[in-house]
Amino acid sequence: MPHQGADTVTTTDLHQRDDGELIEVILHAARHGDVEAMTRTAAEVSDMTRNWAAHIPWDDFAALDRSGADGELAQIVADLTEMWEPAHLHSPVDPDEEYALDKNAYDFYRPAGRNLLARTEDFYGWVQARRRTETWQYSRVLEAAPDSVAQITNDLGRRTRGINFNSQDYLSFNTHPAIREAATRAMRDYGPHSAGSPMVLGNTRISDELEVALGELVGLEHVTLFPTGWAAGFGAVVGLVRQSDHVLIDRLAHSCLQQGARAATRNVVRYEHLNVEAVRQHLVDIRSHDTRNGILVVTDGLFSVDADWPDLVTLQRVCREHDATLLVDVAHDLGSMGPGGTGVLGMQNLLGEVDIVMGAFSKTFCSNGGFVASNSPALKQYVKMFGGSHFFSNALSPVQTAVVREAARIIRSPEGDELRARLFTAIHALRDELTGRGLTCMGEPSPIVPLLIGNEKLARTANRLLFDRGVLAFMVEFPVTPTGSSRFRLQVQAGHGPEEAREAARIIEGAIADSRAYLSSAFGSAPR
Amino acid sequence: MYDAIVVGARCAGASTALLLARQGHRVLVVDRSSFPSDVISTHFLWPHGMSYLNRWGLLDQVTAVTPTHTTIDIVNDGIRLTGSVPTDLLREHFRDLHGDDSGVVQSYASVRRRVLDEILVEAAAKAGAEVRTNFTVRELIVSDGRVVGVRGRAADGQVFEERARIVVGADGRNSFVARALDLPKYDERPRCTFAYWSYWSGFDLGSGQIHRRGRLGCAVVPTNFAQNMVLVWGPSEWSREFRADVPGNTQRALDFVSPELGEVVRTRGTREERIYGTLDQSAFLRPLHGPGWVLVGDAESAKDQCTAIGMTHAFRDAELVSAALGRWLTGETSIDESMAAYEGRRRSQNAAAYYDYVCTFAEMRPYRHDELQLFVALRGNQEETDRFIATHADVAPVSEFFQASNLFLLNDAAKESSAGYAVFDDFAATSRMYQQNLFA
Repeated sequence: MPHQGADTVTTTDLHQRDDGELIEVILHAARHGDVEAMTRTAAEVSDMTRNWAAHIPWDDFAALDRSGADGELAQIVADLTEMWEPAHLHSPVDPDEEYALDKNAYDFYRPAGRNLLARTEDFYGWVQARRRTETWQYSRVLEAAPDSVAQITNDLGRRTRGINFNSQDYLSFNTHPAIREAATRAMRDYGPHSAGSPMVLGNTRISDELEVALGELVGLEHVTLFPTGWAAGFGAVVGLVRQSDHVLIDRLAHSCLQQGARAATRNVVRYEHLNVEAVRQHLVDIRSHDTRNGILVVTDGLFSVDADWPDLVTLQRVCREHDATLLVDVAHDLGSMGPGGTGVLGMQNLLGEVDIVMGAFSKTFCSNGGFVASNSPALKQYVKMFGGSHFFSNALSPVQTAVVREAARIIRSPEGDELRARLFTAIHALRDELTGRGLTCMGEPSPIVPLLIGNEKLARTANRLLFDRGVLAFMVEFPVTPTGSSRFRLQVQAGHGPEEAREAARIIEGAIADSRAYLSSAFGSAPR
Repeated sequence: MYDAIVVGARCAGASTALLLARQGHRVLVVDRSSFPSDVISTHFLWPHGMSYLNRWGLLDQVTAVTPTHTTIDIVNDGIRLTGSVPTDLLREHFRDLHGDDSGVVQSYASVRRRVLDEILVEAAAKAGAEVRTNFTVRELIVSDGRVVGVRGRAADGQVFEERARIVVGADGRNSFVARALDLPKYDERPRCTFAYWSYWSGFDLGSGQIHRRGRLGCAVVPTNFAQNMVLVWGPSEWSREFRADVPGNTQRALDFVSPELGEVVRTRGTREERIYGTLDQSAFLRPLHGPGWVLVGDAESAKDQCTAIGMTHAFRDAELVSAALGRWLTGETSIDESMAAYEGRRRSQNAAAYYDYVCTFAEMRPYRHDELQLFVALRGNQEETDRFIATHADVAPVSEFFQASNLFLLNDAAKESSAGYAVFDDFAATSRMYQQNLFA
């Protein structure tokens, strides 16, 4: 019976029963083997539904075995029930697990209500659900000095030990005797406290020596120290940029730079990651209507969760062509890669050539702290005065300063070359083993090996498995990465042996495969 | 012996057959229906869906009988955003997925399936594909573990057997091909919406309107025959109560979500057909391909109607799979390479992120405070409003909009405050009220 014709559709009775009601009648009849009623009612079901549910033998109900012996009636009942019963009723889930896996931190960014204390409760409820399901990757603590292996406790108090890709100590300085000796000596000579802002009396002679050493490393003579890397980035941007100025910033640049830009001006353009041509176009745009104000172009050197870097030669040239100033954050690459530890700048022959360079000591230099460097003594004095995080913070402690100075010395010595060579042997071993197992390492070989996962649920459950399998890997998700683009950030150290790295890669692959099976997920890891 | 047999001759199937036939391959496409005919569908085409039709030379035929618009209104709890999908993002979408950005158009349309599917089937036939309607596939022919053809029955009861190098399952959510192969489902998301709709004449509101309030949504979009498609939807856990009085509750839902639309429909509208509905919308993925078979459209991945993306995605699949199969059929690549290319696109991280976006949306939780604040922040920021709409429609990647630095910047650039919107007055009480089943 050709029931789908246009003619029959247009003569449809407006007050016909709707399909849900008809299907209930059919179900009732099917349960009683009343194939006549089924057939009669099926003729009333809309063509839309009949064409949609092509697996139901609408036209053949009359031929069914009413005894149900062949199972066909039962199959029809099952199929129709599936169509008209809310599907979640058949597959109950653990509400904690669902809640923990389904949300991301941004969901709690703008809480409602006038009570600032009370309105943090929603977020806390989510944190607790993630803790209960052991998918909260934050706030783990070390039980001993982190080396290539570390012993940690998660925030439920559970302990584990594993190959450690969670510590940012690229050249393994934390256990280096000379570094420890420098710390001890500074402690003896100056005590633990800097006791003041660097603008007052917080600095020591070691601070001056450190500024000189850093200046030599990046080829820029005038260096200012900051209490943290975050303070250096934030301070440099808010120190220089005023409300009428412009900031062009790589979409993925570090949070301290993004937040500095937002604090300094509303004229912020986030350009496509690494796209120098986009920068040029934005500069042309801005200069076409504003020839009076400054433009700060901001990028990372080595990007901290993508492991790639921009063409700084062209970027610096484009900036000069449009009277813009370039700021490059070398937090992750300085010391750990490039000729003589000069990082991405040295790799692109740009030592001494970039307008402003900032960095952090917390990745390779074995301490807190950061710096801003340029060729201009005037810029140095200006940033010290107007980048609030320098003036209004206690200076780096003498111990920290001494550690960083010693780290800078080793970085520039032959021993530094040797440590970097060992680091890169481990990096290649890790990347090759992961890639060989069909996983996607993002970016270029560097101390950061981002292993793309994508889906947050997959990343969170894989991370939960890894905790007990002997690999410590930091899972990054929103707000560090965009939604749907989570990954493991594996931070390699010179102390990692290549076999250790390969073993870790095998374990990671197993955890991802198991968690994919747990979630029954068919998505792969290709980006687009 | 055909190069390809396509099972299902609607959005995914007829398009795949059309594109393969145009490449010069021998194609048979079968469907158990005849055309023109309708099928459960909220039948919306986003601008990339329209662009596919344009790329295939079929858009004019559709727009000759279908109203189109470029700006759309999206109203959440009274916060109205008006915008359109930007051309540059459409171009980027086509370059990324298909390697060329020709034929991009910015318009969208609501096209009745009895109109659209017939145009597609006729175009497939004209391109040289053999089209058999009223043809029910009863069995896949398997030889050495490989699908090599189909057996079935024509309308007159005659039995057919046909063979091909590949069988394309384009037969929808309840795919026979998938069932016959006993394929598992992956990434299942049982929470979905119920949706009820019909066709009203008597008013013309211009461009399309999509409204949300609490756990309910409604849309009014002009469609063929000088009618409006009026659609209401909500969480499937409320469906049983809704069903107790379908016409009454349809109007109640409209009045609740948008009193203005409710009034227009009640006082000026004449319903022209019965009310249709479904809650068979839980999302899943199936394996994409195997020996001698490949799936496209809803058969490979069905999603909730709440972002109205199904037909557009079916077109996307048709282009992807026909390009991949074409390279194999001409001997340029192996079948494995060709299927890996298709799978790479269809199971990518962007696809996963959008899948998550739709599935989360389909749970129909009331908007959170931060989400509504975001909509307020978007008002007056046309570029980002347009990008949001493009993201919602899977033109731009979810990851580019929902990125911390972007969201913070949107916040900073806000031109409006929430002061003017009633929903913020006592947000906690309103949210509690939204959790109550309106139809209970």
